[in-house]
Amino acid sequence: MFSLPLFKQSVRSNAVIWGSITGVMSLLCVQFAALEMTQSLLFVIFYGMMTTILPAIYVLVTANKLIAGQVDRGSMAYVLSTPIKRSAVTFTQIVFMTLSLILMFAVQTLMHLAVNAAKPITLATAMGDPKLPVQGDLTAEMILKVNLSALLVCIALGAVCLMFSGIFNSSKYSIGMSGVFTGVSVLSNMLAMFGRLGVSGLDKFKYLTICTFYDHQSVLSGNNDWAVKMIFPALIAVAAYMICGIVFKKKDLPL
Amino acid sequence: MSTINVEKLTKDYGHGRGVFYVSFGVEKGETLGFLGPNGAGKSTTMRHLMGFSSPQSGKAEINGLDSTAKHHEILKSVGYLPGEVALPDGLTGRQFIKMMRDMRRSEKNDRTDELLERFRLDPDCGVKRMSIGEKRKLAVVTAFMSDPDILLLDEPTSGLDPVMQEEFISFIREEKQRGKTILLSSHIFSEVEALCDRIAIIKEGRLISTVAAADVKHGLKNRFTIEFETQSDYERFIGSGLCPEQGDKSVKKCIISVPDKDTNRFLAALSVCRLKSLTEHSVTLEEYFMHFYRNEKRFKVGGVQYA
Repeated sequence: MFSLPLFKQSVRSNAVIWGSITGVMSLLCVQFAALEMTQSLLFVIFYGMMTTILPAIYVLVTANKLIAGQVDRGSMAYVLSTPIKRSAVTFTQIVFMTLSLILMFAVQTLMHLAVNAAKPITLATAMGDPKLPVQGDLTAEMILKVNLSALLVCIALGAVCLMFSGIFNSSKYSIGMSGVFTGVSVLSNMLAMFGRLGVSGLDKFKYLTICTFYDHQSVLSGNNDWAVKMIFPALIAVAAYMICGIVFKKKDLPL
Repeated sequence: MSTINVEKLTKDYGHGRGVFYVSFGVEKGETLGFLGPNGAGKSTTMRHLMGFSSPQSGKAEINGLDSTAKHHEILKSVGYLPGEVALPDGLTGRQFIKMMRDMRRSEKNDRTDELLERFRLDPDCGVKRMSIGEKRKLAVVTAFMSDPDILLLDEPTSGLDPVMQEEFISFIREEKQRGKTILLSSHIFSEVEALCDRIAIIKEGRLISTVAAADVKHGLKNRFTIEFETQSDYERFIGSGLCPEQGDKSVKKCIISVPDKDTNRFLAALSVCRLKSLTEHSVTLEEYFMHFYRNEKRFKVGGVQYA
């Protein structure tokens, strides 16, 4: 079911983009968490936007390269000229996509935990206003929960992109559809955030994006909404991965 | 049961493209040449045998197993050389070879070094930097390294320089002697002529005929222009029972096609005539098929007709 040599090839051909996105994300996180002037924006700009925008760029490029790009270029012919089932190809790429996102968030979470241990910020600052009447500091547990919530939404984004990659034989359609999906998701999330910050009318955009299921505010305020909302991206990811596998197994390949 | 078996394979891509009711078999140890113009359906048929596409009707089988459903079983004993060279990103030649070897999980003797040596390929540079010929060599190495029993070669020598084409042809000839079953698609006549036991001819998606290569070669005629010294020499020759295609007594010239089997009769008839000149126009396999390419309706197995 799982092909290690194919997995290694996926690692090799996607290492550069994974490394740069993970690097940028970790650096931004450290910067927002460590500098006093940006600490109050940590959850607005970094966790509000960057943890979806940056992984979205990664999944958009990578998902296409994992399947549709190889079919389009013809190099999938070499992979499929070996005794490997098509389902093993999709399964391996699904594992790569999921694991690489987990690792990406693991790296950035560890960076944040390290900074937070050295320079803790108050919960009030994390919520955007140091004068808010809330007690206590931002805890390691909260950081873990926020990142877990963001990770799951990004896995769902990646799964949908991989689904398009498995459905289409040409890169332009795969990238096109994935681009529309991730673009709409990420932009609507930003507009919805402006709505939450007080621009009236924009809050309706939260219904257009699966990023709504990523709820960092609920983690900070200590309720369990974030955990319940994680069910939806998980279901979306499973469904998209299944469609990807089934369509790719059945279809004719122009190799 | 043929090792490779294609039965009434049909796949219509619309606009008259695709393959229609294609049937042929390749026996164990046999080499079948698959000859036809661009877009005739050679690669499409190969694709079905590789399980990349599933047939609309009919079937494609290797070793008695269905190519679509059982491709992962079949491909354990198949080496495939794709018609287009598009190698995966970001690997060096050696990494690509290693990846393919790991994916094949081959238990047979590894022939990589021998093949690299033979085709003079340096695998340590990036695939992106390689020329088309080098990529093709790399594909050849990966197709043959696990020593598969069945070979599907889709225009294998395109992109190779003449020296390497020769090398490749002699390599395939050795493989043939080792008992490999080979399906070779090509439109290079010399390649087909040098390697194949039988030749299947496909045009516009339909298999027109399958002929034994030896019959084709035997059926070829040599064509001569003969100029006689006197009109009586001309008449003696005409009277010998051979039928010239064109002849003119007044200029004492005739043009005649001689099949191999009539060579002795032809020489005997000539021996009693006095000639001014004798010019030979031999017909190669290439001309034989070129003729068919242009005018398939007049095509007859084992003979050449001139329009």
